[in-house]
Amino acid sequence: MALLVDKHRPRTLDNLSYHSDLSARLRALAQSGDFPHLLVYGPSGAGKKTRIVATLRELYGPGVEKIKIDSRVFQTTSNRKLEFNIVASVYHLEITPSDVGNYDRVVVQDLLKEVAQTQQVDLGAKQRFKVVVINEADHLTRDAQAALRRTMEKYSPNLRLILLANSTSNIIAPIRSRTLLVRVAAPSEDEICQVLKRVGEKEHFRDVEALNQKIAKDSGRNLRRALLMYEAVHAQNEVVTEKSLVPPPDWEALIAQIADEIIEEHTPARILQVRAKLYDLLTHCIPATTILKTLTWKLIPKIDDELKPDIIRWSAFYEHRIRLGTKVIFHLEAFVAKFMRVLESYLNGIELDFD
Amino acid sequence: MDMDMDMPLPEELELLESNFQLYDDYLDLEPPEPYPEEEQEEDHQPTPSIDPPLISETHINGHKRSRSDGSDASAPENVCPSDEKRSRFDDVDPKSDEDWLRYSPPPRETNQVVEERERAVEEKIVSRYASQIDGACIPVTAPSGDRVYAKICRVEREEPRLKKLDVKAQSGGLILEPVSILLQKVEREAFSKALQASSEGQSGITLPETPVVHEQLWVDKYAPSSFSELLSDEQTNREVLLWLKQWDSCVFGSEIRSTCDEVLSALRRHSSIAQHQKHSDSIFLRKNKGPRWRNERFENSNNLDRENSNSKGVQDLWNKKSRLTGPPEQKLLLLCGPPGLGKTTLAHIAAKHCGYHVVEVNASDDRSSSTIEAKILDVVQMNSVMADSRPKCLVIDEIDGALGDGKGAVEVLLKMVSAEKKSDMGKENIAKEEQSGKKSSKKGRKTASLSRPVICICNDLYAPALRTLRQVAKVHVFVQPTVSRVASRLKYICNKEGMKTSSIALTALAEYTECDIRSCLNTLQFLNKRNKTLSALEISSQVVGRKDMSKSAFDIWKEIFQRRKKKREIKSDNNSSSMPNEFDILHSLISNRGDYDLILDGIHENILHLHYHDPVMQKTVKCLNSLGVSDLMHQYILRTQKMSLYVYLPPSAITVHHLVAQVQRPNIEWPKSYQRSRTMWLEKMETLRSWHYKIPPYISRHLSTKSFVEDLISPLLHILSPPTLRPVALQLLSEREKNDLAQLVSTMVSYSITYKSVKSEPLPNNPRHEAVSDTSSLSFNPPINDFINFKDYSSGHCVLALAMKQVLLHEVEKQKILQVSIGRSIHSTDGCTKERKDFVEVEASRAQSTKNDCVPACVGKNMKNISQCNPSTSKMLSNLGSSESTTVGVKLKSHGVMKNSFSRSSNFFDRFKKSSSKGSQSTDVAVKKEATLRDMHPLLFKFNEGFTNAVKRPVRIRDFLL
Repeated sequence: MALLVDKHRPRTLDNLSYHSDLSARLRALAQSGDFPHLLVYGPSGAGKKTRIVATLRELYGPGVEKIKIDSRVFQTTSNRKLEFNIVASVYHLEITPSDVGNYDRVVVQDLLKEVAQTQQVDLGAKQRFKVVVINEADHLTRDAQAALRRTMEKYSPNLRLILLANSTSNIIAPIRSRTLLVRVAAPSEDEICQVLKRVGEKEHFRDVEALNQKIAKDSGRNLRRALLMYEAVHAQNEVVTEKSLVPPPDWEALIAQIADEIIEEHTPARILQVRAKLYDLLTHCIPATTILKTLTWKLIPKIDDELKPDIIRWSAFYEHRIRLGTKVIFHLEAFVAKFMRVLESYLNGIELDFD
Repeated sequence: MDMDMDMPLPEELELLESNFQLYDDYLDLEPPEPYPEEEQEEDHQPTPSIDPPLISETHINGHKRSRSDGSDASAPENVCPSDEKRSRFDDVDPKSDEDWLRYSPPPRETNQVVEERERAVEEKIVSRYASQIDGACIPVTAPSGDRVYAKICRVEREEPRLKKLDVKAQSGGLILEPVSILLQKVEREAFSKALQASSEGQSGITLPETPVVHEQLWVDKYAPSSFSELLSDEQTNREVLLWLKQWDSCVFGSEIRSTCDEVLSALRRHSSIAQHQKHSDSIFLRKNKGPRWRNERFENSNNLDRENSNSKGVQDLWNKKSRLTGPPEQKLLLLCGPPGLGKTTLAHIAAKHCGYHVVEVNASDDRSSSTIEAKILDVVQMNSVMADSRPKCLVIDEIDGALGDGKGAVEVLLKMVSAEKKSDMGKENIAKEEQSGKKSSKKGRKTASLSRPVICICNDLYAPALRTLRQVAKVHVFVQPTVSRVASRLKYICNKEGMKTSSIALTALAEYTECDIRSCLNTLQFLNKRNKTLSALEISSQVVGRKDMSKSAFDIWKEIFQRRKKKREIKSDNNSSSMPNEFDILHSLISNRGDYDLILDGIHENILHLHYHDPVMQKTVKCLNSLGVSDLMHQYILRTQKMSLYVYLPPSAITVHHLVAQVQRPNIEWPKSYQRSRTMWLEKMETLRSWHYKIPPYISRHLSTKSFVEDLISPLLHILSPPTLRPVALQLLSEREKNDLAQLVSTMVSYSITYKSVKSEPLPNNPRHEAVSDTSSLSFNPPINDFINFKDYSSGHCVLALAMKQVLLHEVEKQKILQVSIGRSIHSTDGCTKERKDFVEVEASRAQSTKNDCVPACVGKNMKNISQCNPSTSKMLSNLGSSESTTVGVKLKSHGVMKNSFSRSSNFFDRFKKSSSKGSQSTDVAVKKEATLRDMHPLLFKFNEGFTNAVKRPVRIRDFLL
């Protein structure tokens, strides 16, 4: 096993280190024999997937860990061939419908029906139903979600769904009402520190409490990122000390650069420079909302307290627009311009007009 | 020289006469009325822009407007010198053409004229470019084809009289015949014409009130019938003519050639200059009337033509070339431009003028490839047996509408052109290699080649159907004729039709229709029919149907970013009523184009390049916000399919216009960056996805593409290239370092990352370096470092040394092979529940053993190596044995042996490569023997295909078995 993240990933509900009440509830559900549809949501790096995998193990035993990748080909109505990869064990399937973009409805319909209409053959199996885990459920299109609705009810004897999402906001209400909502909160910084410490002990790393805290803080309560950073620090330094530099992700460093540029000068020409960098970030697959969020957090410490609520408000405003629109660059730039405008008028002592 | 030039003339004359009736009239009429040779004299001529009597007179001659008005006046003083001078130069200058052109005039040349010339130059009245003259100007062509523009200005002394005479009369003093006689003539002509017209049932002039059932459309009635009448842009006209003329030698044979060479060179010379075309042909025909003299004078008096002498050599060359090759290089002519500018007319007239019989194919005809091919062959190869034995010229109209079946036309044309090219090459080959040349020329003959001119006409040059045609054809883009030209033509027609109009109204009409002559004429005829008069105010009202024109995206962006600086601007200061006006214009402009997505992209791309005053970023914010809103709207419309909401998209562009429009010309670029970034993004996503699939599922299931870029890659790069790893030989590593290395290798394997050799460009300036860089550098195989490779950003990632990378690559490959073999053996056992765990453990122990194997081959260390190796193996075996059934254990055990020996043997070769002591070999083999013996299992021999350690050495099986 490779990285610390994978090496020390808990495999059973017992081994999970935080949210123990949640673990207990999941175990109770798994043992009850009446496992509901689940909608698990929470920020990335909080341990949703790990928890679900552990729950599956609780449901079916260790056989569920024997997984393979199936490649399936689906045909759309317009006769386009879609290749789609499924992670599957005997007892369950994991799919990421957002891989196929707008055609996710086809995948959801075909695949789920197929699964639902076949009964469990293995009599020795613990459960009569199969579980389908849908990753990134909040990226499902409306059509696909609508296709899920009826399937969930109709085939419930044979099929249980576990939806994984970052937030429930993109999930339509009928689905929310058909599932048990499970929130997996991000671990607190202390919890991250504990995890880091434990991992460090296992790996015989030198334990530096202050560094762990720093990592926990920098990771933004994302355990995956914290562990990776932890490992990176230890890989980069022979002897880890409190002062060891924790390298930030590169895109974050670039956004910090952008923030500096924005603060420096407030002109359309500067927006033009920023535009090039934003395009660069976007082409490197960084999601626009992440860019906006990070940029906001980088800008906030650099401005006056009075302006902070306003900036947060505008940031939220443009984030909403990014979600609604398609040309994310328009909205990112509009935020940059708005920020410049707010800052400029504040510095010049001009009262803000409400536009 | 003289002979050269004059001899062929009659022939050409003959030809053109036979084809072109009009010249007959013209020449017949010539003697009584001396032709105005010196139009440059215009600068001191009174030239009313519209002169009905003269125009009608010239019309009778078949040159409606060709003889520019008022030029007749200059005739008297020019006629005599012309003859005189010509004879003189015939004597004096029997030299080459170049010399003749360079010849400077003797001082005794009419002083008056010289003075006038000088004045003209001084005042910039004569210019090579129409644009250099502001105000009205008139083109003047010398027989050589040289063309200048003369400013039209009235000279003071004649002004009072002019005013009195107004447009109706001409100052009599300078014309041969008195005005009264001319007027009489005109009246007589008009009368006879009217009689003729009425007898044919085409009233309208004499009997305007009579309703006529079969009234001809004005558009047809007044369609130009000769080349000189064309209204379209001079330069285009001439270039089309030039192109057609280039066919002469090929189509008509050689006897025509020499004349047309001169014509061609003249035409050629001017193809680059803005020019006027009216007289050129008639002048060539009347060469014996003293072209020499005129040319000469023209040369001398007009210093602007300096480059003529310079370019003469080039032109000669070109002439020679044209003589040799025959048809022009581009066999197709593609005319394009907005409707109503006279493209089809030009094609027809020019072809007729050059002596072709025009065959037209338009959108109404069947244009599938088979029929079109037959048609083209018909045109190209056949000749009519009927009276009309002129060669044919194919005009394919509306070729951009060629869709579906119509595409055949384009394909056939392309095929023919390419066939032609091939055969051309074949001909060239004949000179060098006869045999091959014959072959290829034969080939060329098989597929019909184009031996007649083909003119294609389209509206949209960038229509997708024309993409390929565009590359092989000679393209001419039509530009609008000037408003004044159109207006004067309209005025002339109105006068002919007896319709009362004002010049202002006509100008407004021409402006309004954007110089679409067809639509102007139709409008006028319509109004005339209803006995209405055209007034300037009416035009903007509903009377005139406005064309639903879609402009190019560039024009629209220009409109958005550029404020019009016309009277409208001033008006907008005075009253606010012009605001909705501008809004309307922009709105209709944008909605006619329709491609909102593109338009908004273009605005976004260019808006920040503008220089608008915006101290507190207010305008920028508003603009970007309105762009954002338009994006949301667009998305909403697409999602809900409410297309009717599209009408609300243009206003956001108009908002931008009102905020940032500037008077100065914006520099607009095509919006590329969005598309570019999108394609790059897709590429990256594809890389990411394929990498994702390669990673074994127990890891990849926990990762999404988002967490890949956001969380994983940066730390992973740090982890994969630790600076603590020293690039030294493996045997020199400490225990801890070996551990790290094993860890690193297993990480790389589990994330399916390897190093791949990438050819790096050798540095040419450093010969020593070259040797090094020839051995390619190594980079990550899924190119994960691309994901942090931002512009203007240097990441703090350290890169491993090449040697280290090589070691890693080697280890990773080895590991992979081991994993596959283990995987196979595990698969052969039945899937027990604990398998996964065991698998992990096996892997771990294997990693350890590999690491141990990495220990180098010092003879002394060998024993230690075995002792290290054995415990781990045995540990593993016991481990397995405890958890599995015995059969599995045996299998795994045997496998373990295999692996052990295998890894060792690879290690052995390693050692060999590193050229350590050769003596170790035997001991090593012995060690292996011992190991196998101790395990007491039959030897499992396995050959791993595709894997080699680079050094092969024959080892006898016996050595192993012993």
